[in-house]
Amino acid sequence: MRYWLQRIALAVLLLLSVSILTFGAMNVLGDPLFNILGPVAGDVSNPDSVRLIELAKKEYNLDKPLPVRYGIWLSEFVRGDMGVQFSTDGQPPVTDLIKERIPRSIMLLVMAQLMATLIAIPWALAAASRAERPVDRISTATTFLLVALPNFALAIILKYILGIKLQWLPLTFRAQDPFDSRVWQMVMPALTIALPAAAIYQRLLRTDLITTLQEDFILMARSKGVSRRRVLFRHALRPSLFSFITVVGLNTGALIGGSIVVETVFRIPGLGSSLVEAVLREDFPVVLAIVMIVATAFVMINLLVDVIYSIIDPRVRR
Amino acid sequence: MSSTANALQTASRQDSVRLLEVTDLRTHFRTERGIVRAVDGVSFTLERGKCLGIVGESGSGKTVLSRSLMGLLPSSNTITSGSVRFEGQEILGTSLKQMRRLWGREMSMVFQNPMTSLNPLMKIGKQISEPLRMHLDMTKQDATATAEQLLRDVRIPEPARRLEQFPHELSGGMRQRAMIAIALACGPTLLFADEPTTALDVTVQAQILQLIGEQRRDRNMSVILVTHDLGVVAGHTDEIAVMYGGKLVEKAPTRELFAHMKMPYTMSLLRSIPKLEDPSHTRLATILGRPPDLVNPPKGCKFAPRCAYSRARCHEEEPSLVTAAESPDHVYACWYPVGSPEFEEREAELANVPVRIGGN
Amino acid sequence: MTDLTADNYPMTDSIEPIAPAAGPGEGASAKKKLGRAFWICIGWLIAIVLLAILAPYLPIKDPRTNFTGKGNVGASKGPSMDHWFGTDKDARDVFSRTLHGARVSLTVGFVAIAFGMIVGGTLGILSGYFRGWWDRVVSFAFIVLLSFPALVLAIMLTALLDRKLFTIALILGVLAVAPVGRLARATTLQYADREFVMAARSLGANHRRIIIRELLPNVVIPMAALGLLGMAVAIVAEGGLAFLGLSVEKGITWGGMIQLGSESSRTLERAPWIAFFPIGVLFLTVFALNFAGDRLRSFFDVKETAL
Repeated sequence: MRYWLQRIALAVLLLLSVSILTFGAMNVLGDPLFNILGPVAGDVSNPDSVRLIELAKKEYNLDKPLPVRYGIWLSEFVRGDMGVQFSTDGQPPVTDLIKERIPRSIMLLVMAQLMATLIAIPWALAAASRAERPVDRISTATTFLLVALPNFALAIILKYILGIKLQWLPLTFRAQDPFDSRVWQMVMPALTIALPAAAIYQRLLRTDLITTLQEDFILMARSKGVSRRRVLFRHALRPSLFSFITVVGLNTGALIGGSIVVETVFRIPGLGSSLVEAVLREDFPVVLAIVMIVATAFVMINLLVDVIYSIIDPRVRR
Repeated sequence: MSSTANALQTASRQDSVRLLEVTDLRTHFRTERGIVRAVDGVSFTLERGKCLGIVGESGSGKTVLSRSLMGLLPSSNTITSGSVRFEGQEILGTSLKQMRRLWGREMSMVFQNPMTSLNPLMKIGKQISEPLRMHLDMTKQDATATAEQLLRDVRIPEPARRLEQFPHELSGGMRQRAMIAIALACGPTLLFADEPTTALDVTVQAQILQLIGEQRRDRNMSVILVTHDLGVVAGHTDEIAVMYGGKLVEKAPTRELFAHMKMPYTMSLLRSIPKLEDPSHTRLATILGRPPDLVNPPKGCKFAPRCAYSRARCHEEEPSLVTAAESPDHVYACWYPVGSPEFEEREAELANVPVRIGGN
Repeated sequence: MTDLTADNYPMTDSIEPIAPAAGPGEGASAKKKLGRAFWICIGWLIAIVLLAILAPYLPIKDPRTNFTGKGNVGASKGPSMDHWFGTDKDARDVFSRTLHGARVSLTVGFVAIAFGMIVGGTLGILSGYFRGWWDRVVSFAFIVLLSFPALVLAIMLTALLDRKLFTIALILGVLAVAPVGRLARATTLQYADREFVMAARSLGANHRRIIIRELLPNVVIPMAALGLLGMAVAIVAEGGLAFLGLSVEKGITWGGMIQLGSESSRTLERAPWIAFFPIGVLFLTVFALNFAGDRLRSFFDVKETAL
């Protein structure tokens, strides 16, 4: 029990540090005033401009020292108020923007992880049962290729082959479309993220399977007359899944990063693409909010992976 | 159908008494260093209901022998030759599919380390019922009931509860019993026990051996007991085969072996067992040297380099198996066995006592 | 008749002292040589580096000229004798742009990973060696850095700072510090407990001497292989940033070229070479780095276990 409390405390500390760093970076390295007012912010000669500057400072608390500003931001953030957008005159408030965009990103990530897992497991089983043979070697080469290809390149390749040449899948995502068409439209973006992830998962699982297959209890199972296939599925797979699950969970963070690019390529209005847009517009509250959400999700997922691990391994049950 | 009834039915099926006939079995492995002659010409027969003990050090080939007999070795890089007839059928070189029909059903194996040989993530009950459902087509309920009975047969307390537990929740001795239960599940006619007690406490060892003996008698099952410990085979076997360097160097009915052992190696094995009656700090008699290189074995008798009683001939010619004078069932391979004049001579030299020629 | 495990089969102690079942690693084929493929990759890398360095001096077309008008091929034309990789939407020579793009990617990749290894390596070794609260602070810093998906952090920083080549390289370098540092720390921890360190200390060596003479050589080896792999990651990261428009301002980058070539489905359909040639070169470079780095790593690993 104490262990979990420590972990949670550490997680909270972590998130606070992330928020401090981000907030600090945005306000010290960037120029909030400039982002709100544009070039006007530098125009101190014009009395009208000066008045605007003063107003803006008051409204956005820019006249207060940095730690105070951070405190104000933090207290609002934990209550769910993520502030207002700098660049679009405050509309819509950041919270609403996030609420609107998150479902699409979640859909993308869930589909991607699902596809990656569903591809990886049979792939790994096939490779492990024919270890070192041609099938396995080809699969190793494919893994290498997939991992070496940057995800935006893969996205374009898939777009070209599946979308343009073969025309199996639609090219654009439209948020207003009914659910089933949206799922279909998500397939290619999800696949872009899923394929390299599947390659990594598969590689790990395959190696684990091969190691597990060397264990004594596998020989024992065979001596009972259990068929090769059954040994693979019923005896070797479950112990090998442990690191698999860990990797899948921990890799979610990487998937989040990958989704940013993919959302941009396929023009999906999700969290990732809004981050990029906000950054290009230097819209601090948005950037800050998204970064915090992503970091929080990341930390929570890691924690969750640990919890799940301790539950499913009967040896670890306390 | 209970497991005992099963066993009896299997027993009545049998017409020939000879369960296992092994003729010149050789198992060689292809490795980077060369060909390892792990088992190099072993022959013996085993009758129904009898227990054969195979004794030898690490590196003698005894474990490879038991695995070869059962056919559990991987096919790549393994060359086997000779003949192994089980219930009259040749099983050496048969397909995996056919072997799988025998494994678990007609012949099964109990392994050395019960902690690593049991699936850590599968409940005990499931591990026992697996062969039952697979080979005997039992329903889930029947299999569970049979599994519980099996646990009772192997004297595990609270069998119903144990069915639902995982291996790590059992003690070492109980785990081994569970493994025995798994091996006995379908009522095999031949049980291989590969160092079944090595990983256990001394106190538990005796119980396990006794259990195996009991089950053997109850089921009229043959047992091949592989071990490095002569003490283990002393009380529980009908016949003992001693292996060295991949070869069979002595074989005799148990009592006969202990009464008239011929091979100096066997004698050294016996001498190296620590005895309770010895005074404290008695030096353990060990056999100096290491097992022979199985890739480039020495010329002549394999044990000669380490044998205190060896002479020139031992290093030149490999002795073949001859029958002992005392009993036709006793074979050994030695030029100057225990009791021979040359042996006595050397014995005297070692003890530094003047030789008495011609006496008893 | 197929079997579960082809080469590695636990033979138990019966054979163990005489003939081990198979070599370390997967299968008996784990050779101690680097292999031909390795050298091919190195060859490619050397070639691309040379081409990148010499690009402005080579007799190739100028990367910023628009080849429109009379006597020129015009925009979005496919590969030809005149333009080996074809022309893009603004009628610029793709081949020459690809070579120039290499300058950015390779520079960023190299500087980033060099920075990461020097800073991260130092921090890692120091914290692994001295332990105590210093270690806790540094480790915590690493964890914080690793809590961001790297791209998010890179995007954020690129937006805040200027878009000069060096800045971007430095940003990626900062991102590299955490993973490199963690590895350096872990390796140091592994070695710091071993006898030879204790022996050195008993001979009166001070900390600095121990670190430099005993620990550093051992830690550097696994990190060197990591260097190639890290460079691949950095190049991909820069490519991603460039694709999103966040890389070097007004620079020619592979990512930027790819983005232009795939902006609209129509461009992609009608003039795929604009995007695919830079994709190809980028891929080959990253692949070569990955492969060589991996080979190097297993080469050194085998030696380790053989000890």
